[in-house]
Amino acid sequence: MKGMTTRQLSLMALLTAIALAIHVAEAQIPAPVPIPGVKLGLANIITVYAVFTLGAGPACMILAARILLGSLFAGQAISLLYSLAGGLLCLLAMLPLRKVLTRKQIWVSSVIGAIFHNVGQILVAIVVTGTPAIASYFPVLLLSGIAAGLFTGFAAQALIARMDKRKKQ
Amino acid sequence: MKKTSFWVILIAAVALLAGVAAVWLQIRGAGATIANIYQDGVCIRSIDLSSLTETVTFTVEGPAGTNTIEAEHGRIRVSHAECPDQVCVEMGWRSDGASPIVCLPNKLVIRLENTAASATPEIDGVTG
Repeated sequence: MKGMTTRQLSLMALLTAIALAIHVAEAQIPAPVPIPGVKLGLANIITVYAVFTLGAGPACMILAARILLGSLFAGQAISLLYSLAGGLLCLLAMLPLRKVLTRKQIWVSSVIGAIFHNVGQILVAIVVTGTPAIASYFPVLLLSGIAAGLFTGFAAQALIARMDKRKKQ
Repeated sequence: MKKTSFWVILIAAVALLAGVAAVWLQIRGAGATIANIYQDGVCIRSIDLSSLTETVTFTVEGPAGTNTIEAEHGRIRVSHAECPDQVCVEMGWRSDGASPIVCLPNKLVIRLENTAASATPEIDGVTG
């Protein structure tokens, strides 16, 4: 990126570290339901924050760094594939929404991002296992994704509102 | 800028569709008794669970280690797995075709269906 300030770089590094810490901590929590891919996705709070306050480039870099390092620290090699496909689709869905949503609607981007994350996960699962039957998990995955997206979305929106207020002071 | 109600309706519609699909899959899967075991998308074994009279145990090898599969009258499960996440073990017993048992590291899928998908179906459930 051209013209990135030291301030911006430090902020991105800090956000990556926070996202990574959340990612690793969440991996220690046992899955609430025994369905592969169901998770809260708390690190998504940081992605949403980065998308709405730093823009596309930084958000993409933070997400990529978090997924790569997160899979290295907490997951297995195979989970990297799911996270990358899910994360990439999620980001692609969120970016255009940035222009459309107001500051009070930021949570919407998280939910729609979660839906696309699920689409990415299930597509990779079908390709990896060669079994389209896995798609029968999609409805359940979608419902849990929407719920998790609502939660992380409102959390991110509250965070952004707080930070906006601080900047004004 | 769209109104918030637009987004709420959109998301609610997707959730409703997912809910309907989940219920439909549940109904459609009822009554299936033939367990088809797929690895890498190929059915490696079919067992008619309704004809089993005693518990059948066998193992399947995969890149992430061994899965031990336990089948008995009307139901099937993965009783032991060497992979670290143990998701397939926690998925527990399956007695209908609503949702398959999946072991992603070993690319293993166990599905209850109405017909045997294996080339050499073991309808009597005898194991070697």
